[in-house]
Amino acid sequence: MSQVLEVTNLCKTYVVNKRQNNVLKNVNFCISEGEMVAVMGPSGSGKSTLLYTVSGMDGITAGEVRFCGKNIAGRSEKELSKLRLNEMGFIFQQMYMLKNLTVLDNIILPACQSGKMKESRKETAARGRDLMRKLGIIDIADNDINEVSGGQLQRACICRSMMNHPKMIFADEPTGALNRTASNEVMEELAKLNAEGTTIMLVTHDVKVAAKCTRVLYIVDGNIKGEHNLFRYTSSGELRERERKLNGWLMEMGW
Amino acid sequence: MYRNILMKDLKRKKTMNFILLIFIILATMFISSSADNMYTIATAIDRYFEKAGVPDYWFALIEKQEAERFFAFARENDYEYRKISLMQLDTGDILIDGEAFDYANTACLSTLEGSRVFDSESNPLERIADGEIYVTSNIFHSDKNHFYEGGKVVIKFGETEREFTIKGYVKDALFGSDMISMTRFLVSENDYKLFSEASLNDIDSVAVYTKDSDYLRRFQALELSMIFHVDYNTIKLMYVMDMIIAAILLVVSICLILISMVILHFTIGFTISGEFREIGVMKAVGIPNGKIRGLYLVKYLAISIVGAVIGLSAGFPFGRFLLESVSDNILLTGGGHVLLNAGCAAATVAVILGFCYFCTGKVKKISPVAAIKNGESGERFHGKGVIHLNRAGLAPVWFLAVNDILSSIRRFLSMIVIFTLGILLIIIPVNTINTLQSDHLINWFSMAESDLVISQEVLFSPEFDNKKMIEDKLEEVREILHENHIEAKVFQEILFRVNISHGDLKMSSFAFSGVGDVTTESYPYIRGTAPQSENEIAISYLIAERIGADIGDDVEINLGGETKKYTVTAINQSMNNLGECIRFYQNADPNYQYAAGSFGIQIQYTDHPKKSELEERKELLMSYYSDADFYTAGEYISYMTGDVAKQLESVKSLILGIVLCINILVAVLMEKSFLAKEKSEIAILKAVGFANASLILWQTIRIGLVLCISILLGTLLSAPLSEISVVPVFQMMGAYSIEFEVIPFEVYVVYPLIILAGTAAGAYLSALGIGSIRASETSNIE
Repeated sequence: MSQVLEVTNLCKTYVVNKRQNNVLKNVNFCISEGEMVAVMGPSGSGKSTLLYTVSGMDGITAGEVRFCGKNIAGRSEKELSKLRLNEMGFIFQQMYMLKNLTVLDNIILPACQSGKMKESRKETAARGRDLMRKLGIIDIADNDINEVSGGQLQRACICRSMMNHPKMIFADEPTGALNRTASNEVMEELAKLNAEGTTIMLVTHDVKVAAKCTRVLYIVDGNIKGEHNLFRYTSSGELRERERKLNGWLMEMGW
Repeated sequence: MYRNILMKDLKRKKTMNFILLIFIILATMFISSSADNMYTIATAIDRYFEKAGVPDYWFALIEKQEAERFFAFARENDYEYRKISLMQLDTGDILIDGEAFDYANTACLSTLEGSRVFDSESNPLERIADGEIYVTSNIFHSDKNHFYEGGKVVIKFGETEREFTIKGYVKDALFGSDMISMTRFLVSENDYKLFSEASLNDIDSVAVYTKDSDYLRRFQALELSMIFHVDYNTIKLMYVMDMIIAAILLVVSICLILISMVILHFTIGFTISGEFREIGVMKAVGIPNGKIRGLYLVKYLAISIVGAVIGLSAGFPFGRFLLESVSDNILLTGGGHVLLNAGCAAATVAVILGFCYFCTGKVKKISPVAAIKNGESGERFHGKGVIHLNRAGLAPVWFLAVNDILSSIRRFLSMIVIFTLGILLIIIPVNTINTLQSDHLINWFSMAESDLVISQEVLFSPEFDNKKMIEDKLEEVREILHENHIEAKVFQEILFRVNISHGDLKMSSFAFSGVGDVTTESYPYIRGTAPQSENEIAISYLIAERIGADIGDDVEINLGGETKKYTVTAINQSMNNLGECIRFYQNADPNYQYAAGSFGIQIQYTDHPKKSELEERKELLMSYYSDADFYTAGEYISYMTGDVAKQLESVKSLILGIVLCINILVAVLMEKSFLAKEKSEIAILKAVGFANASLILWQTIRIGLVLCISILLGTLLSAPLSEISVVPVFQMMGAYSIEFEVIPFEVYVVYPLIILAGTAAGAYLSALGIGSIRASETSNIE
């Protein structure tokens, strides 16, 4: 399988009040097409920073980040915007959406801006509705974002991230603000997307979430301490076993 | 503890706090300087007249011998009076650095006797040395003649000739307005005597000081032959053109105060809504509402005191700068009333605290959770999006801009109000100025429309055959035109000073008779029909009102001691002498021996030539009359009224500058506020792939659209607001029925585009701040 993301010697340093804070230190890893990789680690270990730097949302201090074979480090803001718009999808912990737009409008906005699909506005809207139907939230298409639940909103965010058929989806604690039921629903959807071929990288604290991934990276103090491979998640029946194995490995890592 | 919270808040939210501080500085500056200017301007004329000792009545006699009759009458009735000696000069006999004095009206020589004038520094002028000369401010600053301090003026009269050195200009209440159609050169008593002894043109003008309500009736019973007779209010009205500028400034000041209030309301509301999260947290941990409100009141009090002190200091020079644009003709005492300015600054602080108290009132009502959610309870079940991306055929950035405005119109309301006021501030004065510069304005000055006016004033005298003199001159012009195969009507307006009475009511007025190829049908009337026979006349609104006459009434007109009866057939309007106008029938043949003056020779081409042809004909006529001035109708009126329109042009530029500055400032500061508030939305849009350029465009379009809405509103409101604000001023000048001269391209295209470009540039430059917001900041947003 070809590699979607290759990270070599990635370093990220923040300078706050003249104090240097090395958040990421020579990070190296790869993600192949079709993988669903979870990044875990203690708070402040650099998980979110890693996600933002490899997705081009934040600059890097040193190293190389290759997305689909091309180095994104040093690219202009305009090129990175284009890349995020057409090749990447994002899901945040806090279901960020524009307040003045309906749920459907929020979902189709990136597609309208991109024009990648070469379709009419009606076709885009129809595609948006199809995605919403698929994720079981078609009823809230014309609702204001304040009128829907967190779980529904996060699924709407998944729809938005899918609109431009991205090569990879980045998710920063996508279930962090959800209850267990909603969290399970969202993870089921992400697992389905992955099964359909979408590459996913997500940051999580939740073992149940990570257990649905194909691989888990464990990061401590800005370095990847280890990784744990899991078989592709296919049904909820095997989940308990996956969690048990993952827990054991995490204990070894110092979780 | 609370002090720590405050200090942290001031430090952490420095962008919004700084924006608030800037707005408070602006508001205090505008409010304090505008209130001071309003006070200064509103009382300017009365205070000036009081200082200048303007009389209750002022008149000049045709017959010098009649003066003694008046003096005896005044002594008998114990009326206080002062004699102001004037000697009429031919403008051709006044040379300024060798050039003849270019002036359309009457020029006189006079002394300081009987009147009080002020120098350029507004100090009373006590004496004039021999060989020195002073000019009134309006004449000194006119572009037509090159007056300057130290320049030389030579005055000739018969064999007598004297060179004077210009010492400067004076603010002369009696002669300082262009509307009085007269100016004077002030010289020493000795120099005046030099000329008056050799002259017959010495006029006696008398200033009368009395509050006796019966004075006028008694005075009119004397039946003196007068060149002019005006009362205090009429003299005051003569400054109406100068007061237009002051009135515009007054409107600017009021608008600035309104703008300041709107700005403050917006900023306080906007910044406090940004505090809701902290308010929610404090409520959640149990801090009482009163403490929370007190905390924010203290914060805003501190910021507003700092802003008010800076704004108050800046208000003094700003107010002076605005006042400088008011005509130099008026003595503007005051300005810089420290107590008034300080009071306004204190009031601004109070208003800010009031707004703050009002806005934090919500603290009591909302729950901690709702406060943390920025005032949203989450229990809202109406859709916010007014238009939908999937249905609107707009590009995403345009859609976002339009949708933002439609979804939260209240948020943009302040900006709409401010921009609309700015647009009104431009449209109304520009329409007024264009109306004052219009060729059609000639109709308002008792003249028929014409293509060209040759200004070659005729000096009438009871000894000459004045009528023949006029007709000969007109015939001469006709012959020139005929020789050059030009078809045209040639005519001239002749003015008479008459007394008109209806029953017991009587007044002195100018009467007009058109000589040459002109009929009474050529003039506009507001009511009735043009006079059709020798014993019919049209009178102006002002006269009709003063003598209680209307269409169909018989009135008596006394000209040169002879009284004739006339029937009023129409009501007209005139800005001559602030509304004094009587129109004789073309064949009425009033006694031209008593003609008081004339306007220029008017030429109306009957073959409707093109603009280029008009220029060629003008050149041709100039070759015949090298000593005359040639004007279009609009130029001639501007020439007669002393280029008030030109002064207004500079005010127009000043207002455009002020409006542009305000708009840019408001756009910049509000855009900065929006960026601070919308950081999370911008970060999301960046994260999903919107480029900086698209986001900057979104923000700029939004402000551009708000301005377009304001332009539309301003345009719609300009007509009714002009009626309310400007029409009364024209009515004071004698014009009762006004059609504004609107140049759509200038008013609705050029100026709005300048404002739009400036404001959009301001918004664009501020929106560049988007570049510093990182897509990853979505996770750092509160």
